[in-house]
Amino acid sequence: MKRRHFITTFLAGAILPALTPLLEKLPNYAKFKKFLRPPGAKKEQAFLKACIGCGQCANVCPNKCISMHGFEDGFENLATPYIVARSKACTLCMACTQVCPTDALAKLDPTEAGMLAVNMGTAYVTEDICYSFHGRTCGACYRACPLQGKAMTIGLFEKPYVHPEFCVGCGLCEQACIHMPQAIRVLPRGFNIVEQSV
Amino acid sequence: MNELKSTSFFKRHQGRILLVVSVITRATVLSLLCLFAIWTEYLNLKVAYNHPRLVELSSGKMMRLFYEYSDRFFSMFGDPIEVMQTNGGMTWSIRIMGVPFTDPIAALSLVVKNHELPLGFMLGLIIPLGIALVFGRLFCSYICPASLVFFTISRLRRLLKRFFYLPEFNINRGFAWGMLTGGLLIALLYGHGVWTLLLPYFAIGQTIFHGIAFGALSASLGTVVIFAMIDLLLGHQFTCRYICPTGRLLGVIGRKSLVSVNRNASQCLDQCQMCNQICPLQAMPKQDHLMDCSLCGECLTICPTNCLTIGLKRK
Repeated sequence: MKRRHFITTFLAGAILPALTPLLEKLPNYAKFKKFLRPPGAKKEQAFLKACIGCGQCANVCPNKCISMHGFEDGFENLATPYIVARSKACTLCMACTQVCPTDALAKLDPTEAGMLAVNMGTAYVTEDICYSFHGRTCGACYRACPLQGKAMTIGLFEKPYVHPEFCVGCGLCEQACIHMPQAIRVLPRGFNIVEQSV
Repeated sequence: MNELKSTSFFKRHQGRILLVVSVITRATVLSLLCLFAIWTEYLNLKVAYNHPRLVELSSGKMMRLFYEYSDRFFSMFGDPIEVMQTNGGMTWSIRIMGVPFTDPIAALSLVVKNHELPLGFMLGLIIPLGIALVFGRLFCSYICPASLVFFTISRLRRLLKRFFYLPEFNINRGFAWGMLTGGLLIALLYGHGVWTLLLPYFAIGQTIFHGIAFGALSASLGTVVIFAMIDLLLGHQFTCRYICPTGRLLGVIGRKSLVSVNRNASQCLDQCQMCNQICPLQAMPKQDHLMDCSLCGECLTICPTNCLTIGLKRK
């Protein structure tokens, strides 16, 4: 090997890894699209770094709620898992967190403490169309909630009140909502509707 | 001739037997991928309904028989639901009865992108790397489900060659290193999803999984079709030789493998080059240069003097 080649390759090897933090600054399509990830997922960018798309979480899911991305939602999300809560919501059985080989999904137990450690998103009630806010008692979302009394409490006529500090975003309320379109929706984490409306 | 007859049946037909075995094992892996996808559906039914109700619900006699037999099979190992959950994944990161297998490329990609390698993921590397160290590129002709497609294509190509002129193109083997580094760079910039486009076996896993578990036609089928067309038009197993980064990596890891093709130099004809020409991975048994040997047994079937055997490497 010539000395010139050695120096250029050495410099490239030394400088290029130092530039990798700049990659975070690049415009990234994935930053603008939010998806409901399986329970125990890290923050969105860290999750996309760790998930290699092996599909074991989708294989193991007894509820079959986890789907794998194709090309439709961008190259960054290709072969990563997501959940559509309205068609099938997560039951927080934590089977997927136990099998993830790369720890993209942190290991959790199917206990209440494990459930509270999940942060998939937050439920948001659209009061304009909710039956209970118009004097017709419904309460379907409250009955579906796995963390009744903590994540969701009910008032007069079974009006649902979501407490975002406890709501884990499993989406069972959205699946159970009898109004069409759904009056309660799970917003994936990092999606703050209050900030956007201000 | 007397010497030939004195050798046992298995010695004489070793190449043919290995070819048949390789097709069977690859078909098993392919059907295993399908079964994993079908069992996700079954797991859903199993959790939602109890067993007698499930049998009523499953329409069609075939499906009912399949569910009954898989239930009976899994109950040999314990609770069927728990056992079923110990299986899953695609060829590139798979768990069979709780034993993890990891693709070395997945580990490289994870190190590049995530800068860390979880312990369980690292333990999954032991069996694939051990196989590569002992048997060389065994993965390429006994496990890889995509190579079953390319094997079929190469047979088709051999058939078509009788009627048409099909040229063989050769490029530098280093192209696969370019695929590897380029793939790692794209994985660093965008995400690990790029490997569905670059690795044929991952693309096949995705296609099967999307097709059976979600009922959707996956775009990664396009990857498989493109690789198959490249194989058909450009050369005999072109993808496995020059494009697949996994094959190149395993070939280099296993270049001093314990098991490989042995040549009996006293019987070997000087002018004959049949084994070098038929080798799907461009190993050279004639020159005892076996870096990319995957023990497929093609050279054993074609050798006119039967001087090649597969076994522990001599000296």
